[in-house]
Amino acid sequence: MLQVLKILRPGWRHCLLAGCLLLGAVHAQTPVDAFQGLDAQVQALKGEVLDLNRELFVLEEELLFPANTQVAVFLSMDVGEFFALDSVTLKVDDKEVAHYLYTDNEVQALLRGGVHRLYVGNLKSGEHELIALFTGRGSNQRDYRRGTTLKVEKGVGAKYLELKISDREQRAQPDFLVKEWE
Amino acid sequence: MKGATLLRALLLAAIIIPRAHAADTGAAGRSLVGQPQSVLDLHWGDVLFHFYQGDHMQALTRLGAAGQLQRLDHHVLEAELLKGGLYLSLGQHVRARQIFQQLLDGNVPLDVRNRAWFYLAKVWYQRNYLSAAVRALQAIQGALPGELEPQRHLLEAQLLLYEERYEDAVKVLSRWQPVGGRADIWSHYARFNIGVALVRQGRVEEAAELLDEVGRIPAPDTEWAALRDKANLALGFAWLQVNRPHDARIVLRRVRLQGPAANRALLGAGWADASDRRFKRALVPWLELRGRDLLDAPVQEAYLAVPYVHAQLGAQGQAAQQYLLAVEAFAEESRRIDESIQAVLDGRLAPALLQHDRSGKAGWYWQLLDLPDEPATRYLHQLFASHRFQEALKNYRDLQLMQRNLTVWSQSLGAFDDMVDARRRAHQQRLPVMQRILAGVDLDALDARKNVLISRLEQIEREADAVALAPAGEQALWARIQRIEQALDAADASDPQVQEMREKARLLRGRLVWDFNAAYKARLWQVRRQTRDVEVANKDARRRRLLVERAREDYPARTEQFAQRVELLRPRIDDLSVRVGAATEAQQRFMAALALRELQAQQQRLREYSMQARYALAAIYDRTATEGGRGEPP
Repeated sequence: MLQVLKILRPGWRHCLLAGCLLLGAVHAQTPVDAFQGLDAQVQALKGEVLDLNRELFVLEEELLFPANTQVAVFLSMDVGEFFALDSVTLKVDDKEVAHYLYTDNEVQALLRGGVHRLYVGNLKSGEHELIALFTGRGSNQRDYRRGTTLKVEKGVGAKYLELKISDREQRAQPDFLVKEWE
Repeated sequence: MKGATLLRALLLAAIIIPRAHAADTGAAGRSLVGQPQSVLDLHWGDVLFHFYQGDHMQALTRLGAAGQLQRLDHHVLEAELLKGGLYLSLGQHVRARQIFQQLLDGNVPLDVRNRAWFYLAKVWYQRNYLSAAVRALQAIQGALPGELEPQRHLLEAQLLLYEERYEDAVKVLSRWQPVGGRADIWSHYARFNIGVALVRQGRVEEAAELLDEVGRIPAPDTEWAALRDKANLALGFAWLQVNRPHDARIVLRRVRLQGPAANRALLGAGWADASDRRFKRALVPWLELRGRDLLDAPVQEAYLAVPYVHAQLGAQGQAAQQYLLAVEAFAEESRRIDESIQAVLDGRLAPALLQHDRSGKAGWYWQLLDLPDEPATRYLHQLFASHRFQEALKNYRDLQLMQRNLTVWSQSLGAFDDMVDARRRAHQQRLPVMQRILAGVDLDALDARKNVLISRLEQIEREADAVALAPAGEQALWARIQRIEQALDAADASDPQVQEMREKARLLRGRLVWDFNAAYKARLWQVRRQTRDVEVANKDARRRRLLVERAREDYPARTEQFAQRVELLRPRIDDLSVRVGAATEAQQRFMAALALRELQAQQQRLREYSMQARYALAAIYDRTATEGGRGEPP
């Protein structure tokens, strides 16, 4: 029987080692070099793909929306106490160009300072009218719908506009503004 | 601008990305909600919008593009720091280090610098670049904020444990005063790790004090309960190692029966009783263990331990039956491992692991949470939990996402071609119209007319010709008076009526001259201004015409540049796609090799156990035969 016990002991030691594995302090038994060689290769490849992504993104924008005619409309929000955003509809010269429904995740990103590029398109030089319709819930949880209008003069060069939703604390209601960026 | 606040908040978010647990990221992120960031460049806000949603690849792409198009002039430093953080979050530690090193040598706040080094150390540790991890930790100056400080010390100790420098690991952890007193989870981890290091040095008595303390902590959640189990298990086996089965039994009993440490604890508890020759008691945990899933090594061992106890109790027949049962179970298990080996050889491992992965977002913080029960994955749970496999799987997954990304771009190139064609066609259509318009505008003639006007104005000014500047109505009136005066000159001067009319005409003339003179300066100024406006308008027209002509000439060239860019990108995408495919296969082969090594080791262990069972069985038969059938029949 003693012999059986001795034979079993290596297994017991194995289990002890397994216990040590739990503690995360046993040397890796696989060739580290193999992983690191592959890792270096993957790093380089991922880097190339990320660079390519950037180049293609730039090309896409330059091709589709040349700087001379480009108009981009962004949406931002501050604390949002008096208004919970659901969607935004954007019209340019009375033609609907964007309608966007916001997820909770996107609203959170806006509240943290993110700015959503709602629309990017092309416009000829001259005067244009922009109308934004905001829908959501007001501070009393009732449906809330508001619009704002701006006449913009499109010249040579890209035009950036910001739709801004902010809380007007004195009147306990949201404010919807359009700001032109140079 | 709330510069410093923004930077701190941003970096809290940016460098916090690589934390292993999604819950941690959420907790860190929550503090930012309701604190709007000052955005001075809209495209910076656009980057943040994607970053805050955890879409780090999109955020990095937009960040790079905005940088290239010079749209982040007000956020240069933050943009670079975020870029470093994003590279890190995507597992790109080489690029992250390059960015951080460039930035961190400069005037970046110390806490930002320290955090960057800490996360680099963490990534390098998990990817087995241990010396780089050590160097990164050494670069940290002073203390890290909040929970990062205890994590840093634990990481440092872990690196020392890897190098088997147990004494140094103990020193590091002992020197550190854990944040939050002695009752927080980090302090317990520290005590646990010190205890382990002491056990490795054979200082079991000292280790026991610490491990025993951790083994009694409350367990408000699974993390605490798991740590408590680990401490009791480690201490139990340490006691068994120094032949103190009674002490081992006490601590092993504290381990939960359903936790990940339960099987090992049951095995150890049985050995504690068996060592004291309390064989009947040893049967209790071992029989419980034998009823569990044979995948686990302690369960396999229980298949040998149970007949061993029967044999010790003199029940040779039962022992023989149990050994036979073990041999059969091991053979069946070995056959199932064969199936697993075949599944791995068929390349089914990685697809099985990622079959439920729907996130579609690349990133180093991703973790395999859902383990499918399939032949390819059945015996590999412990391997899957290891850093080396997790990191390899992340690389494999990222490569697959990159491949999908390349496929999408590859399809988009067709649309790019269409756009280039559309530009060519639009230009062809617009060209004749443009030429017609340009031909219809004679800027030189306009200039000549303007020059005539200027000369006339100069003459008026020279001659102080107030009448010339009068509006048409007044000039008509002036002409009428002159005609009347001429008529009166021809009339009879002695006629009193004529005299009266002459007097009236004189008065009217005087009034008009008065008005002309009074308005002269204002009218002159106005005409001069209008002339200047005409000059400006003419110049503007010439400039616009130049722009139009240049555009007419440049447009086709620019279109061909686009065409060329699209054309150059096509082979690049194809080439990258091939190389990503090859790297994916290599990564898959690497993971398969790890899995096969693990499966073969398990099979080898089963063979050894099976051999032990057969040997013990033979010994029983031999003894029974020698004793002439006095014992029970086998």
